[in-house]
Amino acid sequence: MALLSMKNISKSFFGKMANSQVCFDLEPGEIHALLGENGAGKTTLMNILYGIYSRDSGDIFWKGQEVSFTSPRDAIAFKIGMVHQHFMLVPTLTVSQNITLGLKEKGYPFPDRKVLNATIMEVSQKYGLQIDVNAYISNLSVGEQQRVEIIKLLYRDAELLILDEPTAMLTPQETEYFFEVLRKLRADGHSVIIITHRIPEIMSISDRVTVLRDGYNVVTAKTSDISEQELSRYMIGRQLQIIQRETILSDTGREGIALEEVSLQEKGRERLNSLSLQIAPGEIVGVAGVDGNGQKELVEVILGIRKQSSGKIRMDGVDMSSLSVLERKKLGIGYISDDRHQDGLVMDMSLTDNILLKTHTDRRFIKHGLINTRLVRAETQKAVEDYAIKTPGLNTPLRYLSGGNQQKLILAREMAGNPKAIIAHQPSRGLDIGATEFVQQQLLQHRSNGCSILLISADLEEVLLLSDRIAVLYKGCFLGIFPNTQELDLSQIGLLMAGKTSEARKESL
Amino acid sequence: MDSGFIALVTMYLVASVRMATPLILAGLGEAVSEKAGILNIGVEAIMLSGAFFSFIVAFFTGNLFLGLLTGIVGGVLVSMIHAVLSIHCKANQTIAGLALNFMVMGLTSFLFLIVFGQTTTIPSCTMFGDIKIPLLSSIPIIGPALFNQNVFVYLALIGIILTAIFFYKTEWGINLHAVGEHPQAANSAGLNVFAIRYFACFINGVLGGLGGASITLGQLGFFMENVTSGRGYIALVAVILGRRNPIGIFAAAMVIGFSQALQYNLQTLGFPIPTQVFTMFPYLVAVIVLFLSIGKSIDPSALGIPFERNKR
Repeated sequence: MALLSMKNISKSFFGKMANSQVCFDLEPGEIHALLGENGAGKTTLMNILYGIYSRDSGDIFWKGQEVSFTSPRDAIAFKIGMVHQHFMLVPTLTVSQNITLGLKEKGYPFPDRKVLNATIMEVSQKYGLQIDVNAYISNLSVGEQQRVEIIKLLYRDAELLILDEPTAMLTPQETEYFFEVLRKLRADGHSVIIITHRIPEIMSISDRVTVLRDGYNVVTAKTSDISEQELSRYMIGRQLQIIQRETILSDTGREGIALEEVSLQEKGRERLNSLSLQIAPGEIVGVAGVDGNGQKELVEVILGIRKQSSGKIRMDGVDMSSLSVLERKKLGIGYISDDRHQDGLVMDMSLTDNILLKTHTDRRFIKHGLINTRLVRAETQKAVEDYAIKTPGLNTPLRYLSGGNQQKLILAREMAGNPKAIIAHQPSRGLDIGATEFVQQQLLQHRSNGCSILLISADLEEVLLLSDRIAVLYKGCFLGIFPNTQELDLSQIGLLMAGKTSEARKESL
Repeated sequence: MDSGFIALVTMYLVASVRMATPLILAGLGEAVSEKAGILNIGVEAIMLSGAFFSFIVAFFTGNLFLGLLTGIVGGVLVSMIHAVLSIHCKANQTIAGLALNFMVMGLTSFLFLIVFGQTTTIPSCTMFGDIKIPLLSSIPIIGPALFNQNVFVYLALIGIILTAIFFYKTEWGINLHAVGEHPQAANSAGLNVFAIRYFACFINGVLGGLGGASITLGQLGFFMENVTSGRGYIALVAVILGRRNPIGIFAAAMVIGFSQALQYNLQTLGFPIPTQVFTMFPYLVAVIVLFLSIGKSIDPSALGIPFERNKR
């Protein structure tokens, strides 16, 4: 008998179906992957199971008994636990306090932390989930916070663990370790539902896989019976195109973007150290490096959000060093931020208003001193069509769009009017395969239109795929700039990314 | 030390504690509410309602304890209106609080007129007397200030201790904190966010109502239009200055209470300055202290934000 069975679940948001007649079942002791692109309805389905969303129709059976949870508390009572993609931890409380939050433990309401901590340590040691119980959540890394979430579920005796995109923010080593924990859990009789859009991970960890697309069931199969290619076809509904970067040699006579010994000191620390770089029109320069080595600073100095301490930044020979952010953007710079919620979009504003964010000073949109709403709407409509943005309407707040569609709107805004330069910081972060492919194609498209593109990505694969040249950034310094050709030595790039210059030099000898 | 100086200090301390008492009571209530994420700037309304109902009942029955209890009920009524508006209706909490302030000010004045009509003599009632605690009250300087006072002062002092235990030593305090800081996380951990927020508002009403009653039944012995005269707002200042920490609120309320005591005293000294200048003094102190503490406040992340279950 199935442990869990969800039958014909439907749910719509603002008239848009997020789940249509979705069926899903789970055997005891299995790791079941739920695969689909962003916006396919995976998280919605699990939130319905967990009692966070109410469903429009459909039935849920847990151990053969019909259940209907109206809050996570009900789900927890049935030993179902969920780790959300955005962690549900209170940053200002300790690990221990978060783990026991909402429980009535012995001594309630005067908890004996020592006893509770001992129990927590027992659970954590059993599954190799190392954690400092007295640390505050806000001081923990993403990987550690995830451990806290899992311990929190195990502490509550969860038989079923629902994990939403658990590996999205882990390093490859952390992911491998995490999968070990999942295998231990399975061996111990727990069942796991893992939501993801990363196919290789599914192949490595899951027993069965269910694919959703646009809110519909596509297929459920044993992982051993299905190939990566088949899964990707089920997921995006077509064959993936292989991205080709053609060599283009265009001599436009323009300089493109040039940095001349740009340095940045902040709070007495050297953030950027004498960076020089020129990005010619029609060239993509990729920056490889571990996150936090000055990427954000580099981007923001070019855009004028931060002011460099010394050095010059030019755009086609014009010195931008003393220009404001707006003036720089008017010179034709598009900016794709690595944190679209923070820097790119206003989540509670509509599509049209978000388009206006960059263009509100553009005279084209101003009529008699007021905003020409009709023109803005027309422009937004065009963006929605050109970039195939899935949205219920132009007035929908951005919050209700999937990550991929939000990113498409940023592209539409920042790439409008053929910019001379694009600063793309992690442009495909958090996007699924289809959306990533789209973003990359757009970048290549603009490259052939003669745009200078600075691409910064934590994903080395992406840098290798798109860049003409690769600059390695380590502690605010360019340790090397290499043409991206067949002869490129990857191990050398890797060593430089870790700051091992001497070993890298030896390697190249 | 000069015995005259000690007497002066003792006198000011006694007066400061008295002046601070309504602020402490209302401030503690507001701190509970804000910890849970409900910003209620209608403290003034809660206090005014508490002051009015406690006076009416005490006046007609002559029973002060019955008056005190009715004051609590009056406070809770107003606070629960705000709770329904901000939790159930998901209204803007600041606007709801403001509206309540004006509504209750008008309502209490109106009811007062209906009951007593236009009078030249202000109707008054008896007040709670001071209760002297043996031994403790004979401690020099702080004895008279803390242990020879009326029942409201003792309630405020006990309130500080209980709230501190509640905030920092119980699981309830953690729940309250979680609901105000990250309601989605609290909900996901199985807490009932709505119930906890209603509970916090209820406590706010109880303590705010007590604070109001402490003005009519503990300080003045009469009621008049707008008798609280902005003490609710000053209590809000005390909450912010005290960082929602009961001890901090006590300290902040004492500073403001001292300036109030001082201004009463200055008024009687006969300086050729309009009394309004002195009346302004406590508020001026509040503004100055707020200026000095700019940028250090750490608000609960979800303060003033309604919780919605189905929100994506």
